[in-house]
Amino acid sequence: MVVINRGAHAEPGTSLEFKTGNWRSSECPTHIHAKAPCHAACPAGEDQQAWFAWLQEGHVEEAWRELVSANPLPGVTGRVCPHPCETACNRVSIDTPLAIHNVERWLGDEAVSKGWAYPVEAPAEDAPCVAIVGSGPGGLSAAYHCLRNGLRAEIFEALPEAGGLLRSAIPPTRLPRPALDAEIGRLLALPGITLNLRSKLGRDVLLDELKHSHAAVILSPGCGESKEWNVDGAVPTDLHEGLHLLREFMDHGQFPEARRVAVHGGGNTAIDLCRLMKRHGVEQVTLVTASALPGPDTDPNDLINVVPRELEEALEEGIEIVEHATVKRLIMKGSRVTGVEIVALKKLLGTDGRMHRIQFEGTERVVPVDMVIPCIGERVKADGLHNLLNRWHYLDAKDAWSRTDLDNIYAIGDSRGDRGTVAEAIGDGRLAVQAIAANLKGEADPQADDRPEMPAAGLNKVYFGAVKRTVPPKLPVGERTFEAEIEGDIGRLEALREATRCLSCGNCLACDNCWVMCPDNAVIKTAELAKDGSHYLFDLDYCKGCGICAQECPTGFIQMKEDTWHEGD
Amino acid sequence: MREALEGSQAIARAVALCDPDVVAAYPITPQTHIVENLSKLVAEGDLHTEFVSVESEFSAASVVLGAAASGARAYTASSSQGVLLMAEVLFNIAGMRIPLTMTVANRAVSAPLNIWNDHADSMAVRDSGWIQLHCENNQEAVDTTIQSFKIAQDTDLPVMVCMDGFVLTHTMEVIDIPTHAQVRKWLPPFVFKRALDPSDPKSLGALVSPDFFPEVRHSHHAAVDKALPVIEKVDASWAKTFKRDCGGLLTVEGPEDAKVGILAMGSTVGTLRTGLEHHDGPGAKLIKLRAFRPFPADALRAAVAGLDSLIVIDRAISPGLGGILGSEVKSTLYGMPNAPRIHNHAIGLGGRDIPESIVGDLLSSIEDPDAPAFSVFDADLSMLPPEDR
Repeated sequence: MVVINRGAHAEPGTSLEFKTGNWRSSECPTHIHAKAPCHAACPAGEDQQAWFAWLQEGHVEEAWRELVSANPLPGVTGRVCPHPCETACNRVSIDTPLAIHNVERWLGDEAVSKGWAYPVEAPAEDAPCVAIVGSGPGGLSAAYHCLRNGLRAEIFEALPEAGGLLRSAIPPTRLPRPALDAEIGRLLALPGITLNLRSKLGRDVLLDELKHSHAAVILSPGCGESKEWNVDGAVPTDLHEGLHLLREFMDHGQFPEARRVAVHGGGNTAIDLCRLMKRHGVEQVTLVTASALPGPDTDPNDLINVVPRELEEALEEGIEIVEHATVKRLIMKGSRVTGVEIVALKKLLGTDGRMHRIQFEGTERVVPVDMVIPCIGERVKADGLHNLLNRWHYLDAKDAWSRTDLDNIYAIGDSRGDRGTVAEAIGDGRLAVQAIAANLKGEADPQADDRPEMPAAGLNKVYFGAVKRTVPPKLPVGERTFEAEIEGDIGRLEALREATRCLSCGNCLACDNCWVMCPDNAVIKTAELAKDGSHYLFDLDYCKGCGICAQECPTGFIQMKEDTWHEGD
Repeated sequence: MREALEGSQAIARAVALCDPDVVAAYPITPQTHIVENLSKLVAEGDLHTEFVSVESEFSAASVVLGAAASGARAYTASSSQGVLLMAEVLFNIAGMRIPLTMTVANRAVSAPLNIWNDHADSMAVRDSGWIQLHCENNQEAVDTTIQSFKIAQDTDLPVMVCMDGFVLTHTMEVIDIPTHAQVRKWLPPFVFKRALDPSDPKSLGALVSPDFFPEVRHSHHAAVDKALPVIEKVDASWAKTFKRDCGGLLTVEGPEDAKVGILAMGSTVGTLRTGLEHHDGPGAKLIKLRAFRPFPADALRAAVAGLDSLIVIDRAISPGLGGILGSEVKSTLYGMPNAPRIHNHAIGLGGRDIPESIVGDLLSSIEDPDAPAFSVFDADLSMLPPEDR
């Protein structure tokens, strides 16, 4: 029985008797550490938001360590990756995406110059050893992640130097050799990785042997052979394939004589080749591609698959790009090409319900050229892998962990046929090794990260102002050579400034908004880190479910979700 | 010691004798001299108190509320519009059952602006739950002021001492001011059991839901009712020590067998007394009502027993009803066997002078069978356009 005192004053603590939590109707606030879209989009599995968070606090080495927990080659990917992270960046809804690749590159270079140690330990002498065929980005990533998982790695590389296509097919103007050498040199020097150079599968080492001598085999041979190309069966007798020309030029600095060239294709190899030839003195370089150039109405599936910066630079340098087109006919004088007839393509719905590219009658035109160079893609060189190749000359990998049909054999990177970037190869290497490590311990495959992605609409943009994206210096067209890197270094100050532009999508900023604004004091601030990684707990005994915290959470870390709590829980 | 003092000056001296811990007030005519004199006593070192100069009456009331709630003997004073600006806090003080004392120098409430005396201000807050005592003269005002501190702490209720503005506050009278030692002996130190204390925290005035509110209001009403015997007892105790009283709840004078009575509050009583003394004809009883809240129903019924007619004098009106005091007297006497007929008149509104001769007019008016149940008695209706009479 309540006895009301004189003047009806409240005794201390009595207001806590009012469990306002039971006024809550349907939803209650929940902490949801959603994936930042950069992280979700990164084929290498980097959590850009996490390393930008370290940078925001001025911890540069910690940022690098966070970065290389997924991708050991930031100096490389910062230069060559088409950075889908930037395309996905939620800052687009405010101004322009973060310059993630510039900061990534700077972190990679900073680690090299400061000599920061990779966050790995030497594996035990008797640790299981994984054989890795190929020392391209996929193989290097796999070897590194072996160390992170307590395994040893033995790499077999056919060529005299490690690096795969990073060395053989990417011009130094994009990836200077000192930067490449420094980063992969540091990685290969880690204890627990053995590198066998000039060790070619099928000649010096056999897959069957590796299967027996090693705990698992990761095939990362890349795609070393150009796809077959002809126009209605016609092939010029002096045909030069794009990848071949590129490699020749990287080795000897020479191209065959030509005044006017048509390149047929639409990938990074094609663009690199076009630019090198133009710079080498070819008067007219025309790229004929079935894809589209970026524009406001361009279908993303139709977009030319090259690093955006490279495309922009190619256009600056005077490369003519004919989009939505293909080579219909070769115009030959004897066995020599004198021109190509090109025709416009249009995507139309076929009878099978799919979109097909149809040649558009009446749009044919002739481009006079001395040379036509196919750059339509590559496939796996069969050496030592005959029985494994599918009809398209790729290795069949059947799951996210890159397993093949053969026990303990994994196929990663370009050789899978469904990849095409350095970052994808790096991601494949990491996932394959994680699966191998789990299998060796008799565990199930690691859990995929199925957290939801944080959309721009989930953020409260009131808390984020527009801040200009940092644009690093770039060599003017006239000063571009075959060696000097075209895009400049962002530098420490600008990198740290750029980090402050990160919106921390889905991640608690510890801004105290929820704690300050909760009208019921139902947000409790904790000194210790709570289970969900934040410093806040919801006291659902008193939360009325008003949603102010979720509304005022800048990053979408607080979301209103179905209320499954009952009084006394 | 007997001294010739202005009413306000005497009140300031009386307050000082009670050793208030906190004084906060904002000046307003005709209360100003009270605050000025208190301020002067502080400045001259005769009064040691926390004198808080505030920027409004709302703040003045809030300061004394806080001070008393934390265990201080607190005092404030106001008038008219000032009382109205305090209104919200006055309800809070009473609702929280905070004992403190306030002087109201009664003044009309505008508009039209009028600085002179009637009872509209204290009547406007009559339902706030304060004890309201009215004083006939400055001696009573001094004595009641000192008594009010004791009544407040004995009842856990705030006490409003009402004295007529100008008529009392600005009038020089010979007043017997007790000595400091006498008052200290008679008035115990201030003790407030529910005082705020950091080591025993509590929250005053917090939300009370419908589950408890009616009970809280009932207990407040009962507490004000129960103050009736306390007011009488304190006055009796005062009389024992100081050999004079203030009339307890009410006083009755005049011939035992009188058939007509006149009831009034405040300084009007003195005017009526003199008027009756000079009036020829059958005598009338004079009833001086001192306690307006709590309303002394039993004492009143006893006082009017045997009367055929009772003239109730109001110094304020409730437009659309009539006299406030008159209505309350009627409702109190309702159902009483042989209750007198009530003649209710408002006089002296806004400081209109009340002459002694009014007694004759009042007494002869009851002979008129067509007289209205209520009138603004001294209004000259010929000054109004016919449609507004």
